[in-house]
Amino acid sequence: MLNEAVGVKLKNFGPIILLYYFSISELDTHFENYFEILSFNLQLIIVYFWVLKRPAILGNGHIFLAGLINDVVMGFPLGLSSLSYLVVSFFATYIKNMSVHTTLTSDWFTFIIALLISNFTFLTLISKFTELTFSITEMLYNTFFTFILFPFFWFLFTFYNSTVRFRENA
Amino acid sequence: MSSSRDDFGIAFRSALLKKGGARRFSLIVFILISIIIFFLDTYNYSFMKQARTIINDGVYRLSLVASTPLKVFPSLSDKASSFMNIKSENKKLKNELESYKRKELNVEFLLNQNKNLKQLIETDSIFSGIYDTGLASNVIVAKVLLDKSSPYLQSIIINKGFKSGVLKGMPVLNKDFLVGRVVETNYMSSRVLLLSDLNSRIPVTLGENDTQAILKGNGGSKPLLEYLPEEYKLIEGTNIFTSGKDQIFKPGTPIGTTNNNGEVVLFVEPNQLSFIKIILDQQRKESF
Repeated sequence: MLNEAVGVKLKNFGPIILLYYFSISELDTHFENYFEILSFNLQLIIVYFWVLKRPAILGNGHIFLAGLINDVVMGFPLGLSSLSYLVVSFFATYIKNMSVHTTLTSDWFTFIIALLISNFTFLTLISKFTELTFSITEMLYNTFFTFILFPFFWFLFTFYNSTVRFRENA
Repeated sequence: MSSSRDDFGIAFRSALLKKGGARRFSLIVFILISIIIFFLDTYNYSFMKQARTIINDGVYRLSLVASTPLKVFPSLSDKASSFMNIKSENKKLKNELESYKRKELNVEFLLNQNKNLKQLIETDSIFSGIYDTGLASNVIVAKVLLDKSSPYLQSIIINKGFKSGVLKGMPVLNKDFLVGRVVETNYMSSRVLLLSDLNSRIPVTLGENDTQAILKGNGGSKPLLEYLPEEYKLIEGTNIFTSGKDQIFKPGTPIGTTNNNGEVVLFVEPNQLSFIKIILDQQRKESF
């Protein structure tokens, strides 16, 4: 009984651990060695999906902190990724408030809006207030692949979510 | 109509201000904190600089620990299978192999580091060296802590900071070939901007006539040459060296060679770095 409770609790921490791990470790989603333009932002998918589906397990503080860590590791000005993640979190919360039932199609459609506004915020801040230069083409590829790969992770996370719920109900 | 506008307003406000469950603070609080931190960091407030140094050092070490399984497990499994083969081939040496296996698994990481460092020292003695080093006191060897690939920035984190005398702008070499320059220093770590990064600009010289140009990173593995003389024709296989006009890099440090597309093939693959050298005698103040 106790083990099961611990298991459920650990599973609830899964998305947070994944978010932090991708922010802090060398593990990245930039596969230029395999396909030159393939890179995507898994953190944004994690934030969007879990805030939309189970906001109780992914607090704003964790999203903020993961963003800060990502900024340090990637060398961006502090707060940039946090803001980018929080914009996505805001959209997910808003969609959750406005809709009764969501499907993959509706999630996918609303995700692109969140993704574009989040990346636009990122791009505006970095180009207007810092001296960093980076390729808008790379960013568009990153946005495109993040959007394209969303359904794959949607199914993956939905499955994970169902196992957690199953355990909770059991 | 007014009802739907009300719904929109309520949902909008709720998304920004709602607390509860895992959310002890509303979203707007964190958004505001992020914006404040961003501007404090961007405009380099002195207390923020110190805070960032501490945060950077802490997060880099944590990141190194978090990345360790990614580095250790593949090599451990390779070694384990190799040991199994030896064991089957020579049963008489089973005991020795077992003990070697245990030791090898424990120190494998250290051995690899040692090997790389030895190679580095040997290279130093082979290449007489633009920087006349031989690992003298003006050169420090640093280990690459993190090499996280990013679609936006190409940089590495090394395990030496201003505690070891590293300053912003210092040239970074691998096997006497230029790989980049230091762009951020912390107490025990630094960030090196690689030549391939979009923000990298290095004055270079090439060809028999010492033609001057700027080597500009393009985000890919092969940087480009800019500001070449008009109608200058690039010849494939021309070696590129630093010109030293920036007063940061000593003239004549080899960088790469041109290919038939007008790109520069670097002598050192930017994503294959384990150890690098930082030349300390180039400057005593931060250059930017």
